Amino acid sequence: MYSFFRAKAVSAAVVTAGLCLSATACTNSGDDSSSGKSADNTAAAQQVASPSASATGPGCTYQTYGGGVPKLDITDGKTVVGFSQSESTSNPFRATETKSITDQAKKLGVKLIQRNANADVNTQNSQIEDMIAQGAKVLIVAPENSDGLGPALAKAKAKKIPVLTIDRTVTGTACTDYIAFIGSNFYGQAQIAADDLAAANSKAHVAILTGSPGNNVTTDRTKGFQDQVKAKYPNVKIVASQTGNFAQADGQKVMEQLLQAHPDIDAVYAENDEMALGAIQAIKSAGKTPGKDVKIVTIDGIQQMVQDVADGLAVADIETNPRFGPLAFQSLQDFYGTTGVQPKVIIKDGHFTADNAKQALSQGLVY
Amino acid sequence: MSTNTLAWSGLTADRTRMLRLLQEYGVYAALVVLFLVAVGLDTSFVEMSNIRVQLFQLAPTLLVALGMALVIGTEGIDLSVGAVIALAASVVPLYAGYGLGGVLLAALLLGAASGAVGGAMVAFARIQPIVATLSLMIGVRGLAEIVNGNSAKAVTQSGVLALGSRTVAGIPEMAWIAAVCALLTGLLVRRTTFGRQLVAVGDNRRAGWLSGLPVRRVLITVYVISGVLAALAGVLVVGHGAEADPANQGLNMELNAITAVVVGGTPLSGGRVRVLGTVAGALFMQLITAVLTQHNVHTSYTQIVEAAIICFAVYASQERGTR
Repeated sequence: MYSFFRAKAVSAAVVTAGLCLSATACTNSGDDSSSGKSADNTAAAQQVASPSASATGPGCTYQTYGGGVPKLDITDGKTVVGFSQSESTSNPFRATETKSITDQAKKLGVKLIQRNANADVNTQNSQIEDMIAQGAKVLIVAPENSDGLGPALAKAKAKKIPVLTIDRTVTGTACTDYIAFIGSNFYGQAQIAADDLAAANSKAHVAILTGSPGNNVTTDRTKGFQDQVKAKYPNVKIVASQTGNFAQADGQKVMEQLLQAHPDIDAVYAENDEMALGAIQAIKSAGKTPGKDVKIVTIDGIQQMVQDVADGLAVADIETNPRFGPLAFQSLQDFYGTTGVQPKVIIKDGHFTADNAKQALSQGLVY
Repeated sequence: MSTNTLAWSGLTADRTRMLRLLQEYGVYAALVVLFLVAVGLDTSFVEMSNIRVQLFQLAPTLLVALGMALVIGTEGIDLSVGAVIALAASVVPLYAGYGLGGVLLAALLLGAASGAVGGAMVAFARIQPIVATLSLMIGVRGLAEIVNGNSAKAVTQSGVLALGSRTVAGIPEMAWIAAVCALLTGLLVRRTTFGRQLVAVGDNRRAGWLSGLPVRRVLITVYVISGVLAALAGVLVVGHGAEADPANQGLNMELNAITAVVVGGTPLSGGRVRVLGTVAGALFMQLITAVLTQHNVHTSYTQIVEAAIICFAVYASQERGTR
């Protein structure tokens, strides 16, 4: 008996690490397809959708951050900027994100050092502390999770080193614990998904495949969809909502069960592309045709899924844009200038539908 | 005084008998009750299309659980099976050009190799099974991710896809394969010298050594079987999902397999392998998940229900008393 529980405990810990990996595969994305620009880090292609400084008052600057921090010129070639990536670049989202930051640093002549924590928040803490020891004067951090970076953030604060967070939030106060958060509007992505689904079938019976429970991305993408349906599409009915843990296999299994229990399901909203790919398999094996019998909308914008949109298997895929480089360095320059940075900077995401998916793929706008 | 003692011992005897019955046949009774409840809630549960879905999802877990039951029979545990699934998944795109035969050969050989490493660690280095297979679990998944270039790949090899989707006489091919493996495992345990040796090694390893049983060979063999079955499950998982994703496939599978074995009544203390019980245990867990998912019960509650079942099963096997 004893060995059994030990087995459970130990492997559960290891498994948790694995789940984090899958949970983070949630954020994936291409470029703003409508701009027609290349997939490179053109600043214009990813401009801010959040309110401008004039609309919401002054942004955060080096003078107001945590009682004031030293002014720096990040492009002088001497000031060291540290970049902490949370996860392995084997994930296309992470690879594109790291490349975007690195490329933009090179372009601006910024002296950049970087580390990858491979989905381990403890590693990320020590790596951030290492970079501080190595002389980093300002940090760009892609946090592994919201609550785990306390030690590193405290150390940075003590040394008056400002931290800019991208793609996931950290717990704390903007302009005190961190400069600002740059990322997608997960709630807004879900609203667009609801619009697309209702446009494809205004009387849809929808199954929702939600992401890993207790994740802010899951919460926003679930609420955004539900709120939008409630507010605008009274005839769209949400039949079932089950977690697929942001994973293909889980999405497939859950969808297989739901199609059995609810033969009337004719639409799926998947909170990431992996689960949508699983749903497509489940729909096929139930003898139905994805895109015809069952309409699918999904979020992230990975190549395989955008290809499925182009092939008519899915209605739409809303991108989660990983190209943070230009926006991140622009924000830092605003921080050290007079404009300042708003607490939440929203990156512009692409939106792939039957109209533009093929073109976006051929132009290399999809990651 | 004497009547008191008599009454007390009578009660104990009854209780022991009841627990033994529960231990022996509880899982089958629970399975029947669960099925009836499921049908009562929704009569469409008996429809062939639903049975097929459950069998598709059951097959990989059952294959892994069969190997796990053998390992547990030797008082061991194999935590590496989920990672072996990932390893098998990772070689599918690589060997797709050689057809289904090539894919199976490569995957099963790797599964056997991984099992041999785990078995050797247990048998020769005398490392505790949980530690040996835990290290294997971590290392093999890493290897799988390296082999696959660490990103999910769509699989289009027709043989592999057919294996994961085709039905024979209305029953998924995957389920037939699992059923045949269950039958073979049952025969292995009940009808062969190896089966008797396995049980003897699990019952009392020291006595096994002293009486000249090939303890090391038995140990290595069970881990190899477990590895091969996990690899086979891996190919089926890839075929069914049409995707090779070593970072995610097989996650939690070791826990599902252990659960099936335990719920099926195989004691973790070794010395006994219940193959049919394992089949029933795996089926029971599959149907529980199906019922809760189909009735849109939140995952958090599903997990609590599963935990309660595991606790009860472990309690029942613990109270079995002296063997």
